[in-house]
Amino acid sequence: MASSAEIARALLIAAREGPAVASCTVMGATDGVEVALGAKMLVYEDRNLGEIGGGPLEAAVADFGRRAIPKHLVQTCAFTPDGELVEGRRAIEAADAIVEILVEVVEPAATLLVVGGGHVGLAVGQLGAMLGMEVAIIDDREDYANEDRFPYEANVICGDFGDELERFPITANTYIVLVSRGHKVDELALRTVAERGAGYVGMIGSKRRTRTVLQHLAEEGLDPQALDKVFTPIGLDIGAETPEEIAVSVLGEIILVRRGGGAQPMSEHGRMLASIRR
Amino acid sequence: MPQDEVYEAMSSAFDQGAPVALATVAQTLGSTPRKTGAKMLVREDGSFVGTIGGGCGEAEVWQEAMDALDDGDARMVTVDLTEPVDGEDKICGGIMRIFVEKLEA
Repeated sequence: MASSAEIARALLIAAREGPAVASCTVMGATDGVEVALGAKMLVYEDRNLGEIGGGPLEAAVADFGRRAIPKHLVQTCAFTPDGELVEGRRAIEAADAIVEILVEVVEPAATLLVVGGGHVGLAVGQLGAMLGMEVAIIDDREDYANEDRFPYEANVICGDFGDELERFPITANTYIVLVSRGHKVDELALRTVAERGAGYVGMIGSKRRTRTVLQHLAEEGLDPQALDKVFTPIGLDIGAETPEEIAVSVLGEIILVRRGGGAQPMSEHGRMLASIRR
Repeated sequence: MPQDEVYEAMSSAFDQGAPVALATVAQTLGSTPRKTGAKMLVREDGSFVGTIGGGCGEAEVWQEAMDALDDGDARMVTVDLTEPVDGEDKICGGIMRIFVEKLEA
C-alpha cells in the first residue's frame, strides 16, 4: 500500500511536471458506512496509486477520476457504497447511504504561449497571468519583446519566430495564441505548431485572411485534421473591440475549451423575474 | 489553479520528518471566496501556506488543523459566511465545507 508520503510526493510531481492525476479522497460518509476517512487514491491515465477500500466503490471512483482528467475537474462527488454515482442535491438527500469523494485533477499550470508582443499579445498575456497560467511571449522585435513591456510575470522571448517556436516545448497543456503583426508570421507560426498536439491553437484575423493561411498550409501537406482544430477567427463572439476586450474573448474561448461550458449567458436573457412574478 | 506551493511545503515538511495538516475546500454553496479544491497547509508551529479564503473562516479552519495535528483525526469543518458579524454583512454570504486531514511521511 502507498504511504501518505509516497502519495504526497506523487502529487508534487504531478503539480510540477505532470502527467496530470486525479486525486480522489474519501471526505465523508453517512453514519454507519464504514470508510477510511482521508484515504486517497491517485488515478493516472494508465494506473492507480493507493486505495480507498477496494470493491465496486473504488472501481467506480477510479473510472470517474480517469474521465475527470481531460476536464481538469475539481469536484466533490457522492457515490453509494456499492459504487453508483449519485447526482443532484435531492438525489443525494434521498439516498440511504452516501460516500463523499473529492476528485481533483492535479497538474502543472497551463502554459499560455502568445505569438506576437503587440497590443493584443500584451493584453492576452496579462489576462492569462491573472488566470494563473504560465505565460510565454514571443516576438522578433526587441521593442515588443522585452521584459519592461510586460507588467506581469512572463517568459519573454526575443528571437526568430520559427526557431523559437521549434524549440518551445508544447504539450496538451499548452494553449497557443497567434496574434502577430501579420499573416506571414501567423502562417509561419502555425506551420511550426499546428501538428504538435497543443491543447488549443487560436489565430487572429478576418475570415478571409485566416482561410488563406489554412489553405496554404493544407496545400503544403499539413495534417488537415490538425488544421481543422485551429480556432480561427479567434475568440468568443462578444463584440470585443479593444485589445483588452479581445483578450477577454480569447481567454473566454480557452476556458471554454478547458472546462467545456456552454458559452451562453447564464441568465435566460432577463426572463427570470417574469417567471417569479407569475 | 496551481497548488504548487502547498505541495512544495508538504514535501519539504516530509523531508524533515514533520507532519502537516491539509485543509481542502470540499464543497461550496452560494458565494464563497475560494472554490472547491482550494488548499491551506498548516505546519506544527502554526505557520501556514496557501489560503482557503482568509477572514474568520480561515482562523476557524486553522484551529481545526492544529487540533488535527494533535489528535490525528480527519474532520469536516463547515464555515458559514452567511451570518453577519458585528452588525456588518459579510461580503461573501456562502457556506464552505472544508476537509481537514493530518498527513505525515
